Amino acid sequence: MQLAFYFDQTRCTGCYTCVVACKDWHDVPAGPASWMRVSTIEKGRYPKPFVAFLVTPCYHCQEPACVPACPVGAITKRAKDGIVIVDREACLGKDSCQLCLEACPYGAPQFGAEENATMQKCDFCLERWEEGKLPICVAGCPMRALDAGPVSEMEARYGQVRRAVGFTYDEKLRPSVVFKPKPEPAAVQR
Amino acid sequence: MVDRRDREVTGSDKVVYTTHSSHCGGGCLLKVHVKDGVVTRIETDDGEEPQYRACLRGRAFRQRMYAPDRILHPMRRVGERGEGRFERISWDEALGIVASEMKRVKEAYGPEAILYKWSGGDTSVLNSATCHYRLLNMFGGCSEVWGTFSFDGGLFAELATYGTVDTGNTRDDLLNSRLIIMWGWDPANTIQQTNTTWYLAQAREAGARVVSIDPRYTDTTATFADEWIPIIPGTDAAMLVAMAHVIISANLQDQRFLDAYTVGFERFKDYVLGKEDGVARTPAWAEAITGVPAASIERLARDYATTKPAALMAGIAPGRTAYGEQYHRAAMTLAAMTGNVGVHGGSSGGRSWAVAGPIAYYSLGRGMRAGRNPVEHTAPPRKNLIPSFGVAMRRGRVNVAKMSDAILRGKAGGYPADYKLLYLVDTNYPNQYLNVNKAVQALRKLEFVVMFEQFMTAGARFADVLLPTCTSLEKNDMALDGATGFYGYMNKAVEPVGESRCHLDICMALAEKLGIPDYNDKTDDEWLREIVAGSNDIADYDTFKRDGIHKIRLPEPYVAFKKEVEDPQSNPFPTPSGKIEIFSQRLAEMNDPTIPPIPKYIETWESRNDPLAQKYPLQLVTTHFKRRAHSQYDNLPWLRELQPQAVSISTADAQSRDIKDGDMVRVFNDRGEMIIPARVTERLMPGVVDIPQGAWYDPDERGVDRGGCCNILTRDEHSPGGAYCSNTTLVQVEKA
Repeated sequence: MQLAFYFDQTRCTGCYTCVVACKDWHDVPAGPASWMRVSTIEKGRYPKPFVAFLVTPCYHCQEPACVPACPVGAITKRAKDGIVIVDREACLGKDSCQLCLEACPYGAPQFGAEENATMQKCDFCLERWEEGKLPICVAGCPMRALDAGPVSEMEARYGQVRRAVGFTYDEKLRPSVVFKPKPEPAAVQR
Repeated sequence: MVDRRDREVTGSDKVVYTTHSSHCGGGCLLKVHVKDGVVTRIETDDGEEPQYRACLRGRAFRQRMYAPDRILHPMRRVGERGEGRFERISWDEALGIVASEMKRVKEAYGPEAILYKWSGGDTSVLNSATCHYRLLNMFGGCSEVWGTFSFDGGLFAELATYGTVDTGNTRDDLLNSRLIIMWGWDPANTIQQTNTTWYLAQAREAGARVVSIDPRYTDTTATFADEWIPIIPGTDAAMLVAMAHVIISANLQDQRFLDAYTVGFERFKDYVLGKEDGVARTPAWAEAITGVPAASIERLARDYATTKPAALMAGIAPGRTAYGEQYHRAAMTLAAMTGNVGVHGGSSGGRSWAVAGPIAYYSLGRGMRAGRNPVEHTAPPRKNLIPSFGVAMRRGRVNVAKMSDAILRGKAGGYPADYKLLYLVDTNYPNQYLNVNKAVQALRKLEFVVMFEQFMTAGARFADVLLPTCTSLEKNDMALDGATGFYGYMNKAVEPVGESRCHLDICMALAEKLGIPDYNDKTDDEWLREIVAGSNDIADYDTFKRDGIHKIRLPEPYVAFKKEVEDPQSNPFPTPSGKIEIFSQRLAEMNDPTIPPIPKYIETWESRNDPLAQKYPLQLVTTHFKRRAHSQYDNLPWLRELQPQAVSISTADAQSRDIKDGDMVRVFNDRGEMIIPARVTERLMPGVVDIPQGAWYDPDERGVDRGGCCNILTRDEHSPGGAYCSNTTLVQVEKA
């Protein structure tokens, strides 16, 4: 089984609730590390601008690039649910390595501000799944723009669209996510 | 606590269902995890629909409680006032100083020399500013100011037009709209009731067309609008009047509705068509004023008149301008012309943040009575007052915009009193008040300043005595913040942080020092039980307390004026004529050309045509930020890192000034100056700059603000009907 995210880009107002809920739940201090990120994509020129928001957690790829990239095997993919986890004790730290971050096209591996910070990232709220709860970002989204569950279930419910504004699907890594993308007007100027 | 909840997540001692009161437009359900007496995690509503899910500010509440700048014990000023140097003192000593200063000022100058001001820093039912107001009234009274920062132009316009401020529909009624016109309305940032954006999303998914009129391409516009129409700030009434011209010229008005429910349409029509003064308010006329192409005005007017039902959501920001009353009056007139009043899917055109019947008028027992203020109660009514049900609207003779001026000039300047002691509760003066530099002078002139605060805010630095209050998660209370569709119970999750105390507890101790024996004889629990016992909605106090929330369930969405429209014989509008007053005799009797009896476009001061625009060519708008509720939450690191405080400037205006995104720039006018990063954007109309309001004033040694406090630039003036003019300001921007 592989768990996956769903993101409805047409609903997201870029409110950052998922980001803060995640930092609170996982006790991540303010600083460079953020397991969930919201980016604002702005295109077009006045008076016809175009704006979309994109959430970026870890997509828990079916073939994650970070796992083979790690020289000490600190990153593993769980067989039972496909969650990609990191053993922070084993991680070499950002001052000497960062190969996982270089390998990941989505910037999911995160490092705090502290000296030789070890890698941390979205763990899909694995302890919440064990209690039958959705990840904290999904449960808290004021716009009901997020969902999560087995990839087959997400596809059955929302379809198989794997593109969104600001997102590129990596065929090789197969990130576990489906989207309702925001339609981009054809005439948007760069 | 219920066992099930204790076990919900391993590791927590308990999970407390509660809420908070920070005047944020929501006040949602928080499920607070506590371990060893410390809040460790916060979840939100995952119960029955509608769920009231907290936004980023509620989710960051843990950092609010344990903020490093939390005031942990009473303090006394040791340096110059405003310098921010304090020493720790005991509660007994602090309250002793406050009581002796209050007695001294009252004896020497009379009770009117005590000026009391509160704001929405804590909107709890029991432990809020009411405790202080009761105390001051029992002490002999105090001076007050009238007017809100938010929407006094709208209140005035609603009272003139509809005779009530109860002009709103519940948000779920948006699902019945086929066209939603968002006029200066940005609920993605302002919230304006939990789930407002969620209902907007559902309305759009159900097929409603959404149009946004706004100088900014807001996040709300970006997410929901099919069309964006940028407009020059302060000219909204001109566009609305021109839309009326289109509708009248094409004979698209709902004449049956106008005949049955309104008075004065013919007078308005004469003004619009130019019969009154020879100026026809055509789309071409409005294009020159508003910057909106005549064709866009024409198209929107036709859409609004022919797409039924349509909801004109009149945001309150365009009303925060000089003569903002006219914008609100014109919006309500258009709603009546299109027959959208009192019907599902429509809108009265009243404030987007208007109260909506049963979800606003909470059914509760009365609770603590503030009593009469001997100073203001005996004073003659202020000018331009429209009688209404609310005592709050009658209080005070000085508008809040003139508070600093009144302190500085007193009786000699024509104000009712000479003010000596300033008593501030949950309010960030000078930060959130127009013309900060003048407010700072006013603060320096006073003999004594006492503040009740949670943090060392920009305002707290000016206190002589600072008394620390506790946050929502440290007390038992109730929150009814802004008619959100539910009753919220605040369950005390942990003990008050540091030596902070609740308002009622503080006031009881101060009453003793002041020699007021009968101030209060009930515990918090007794008060809360009594208040809830008087409710028709909440059956059981203990269930309400356990759940932290009581959701109001209506059989159908509430629509303002439905009964007036369905059965006008039995239900006249609460105006003198019993009709919707497009022409208001009450306004006519005010005999003031800046409050005409029919809605008119009146050019603001500091407009683009003001000679001052030669020197200061950019219009400043002061908007809401996601990460703050006014000036609250500005100090929390989790929130600060999401949105840097900056001045937004259009690409065109930035290029002509050689400003690049991220450059430090000076923003200034004759009233003040700040240095702040620039955000260069395509999402803003040229000629307009935007500084999100609420950032904390942080002057350098030259008095230049480095904190990004917009009010260093705003003008301390109000409109004749009370509109607060924070969006009527000219500035210049240049590279620092």
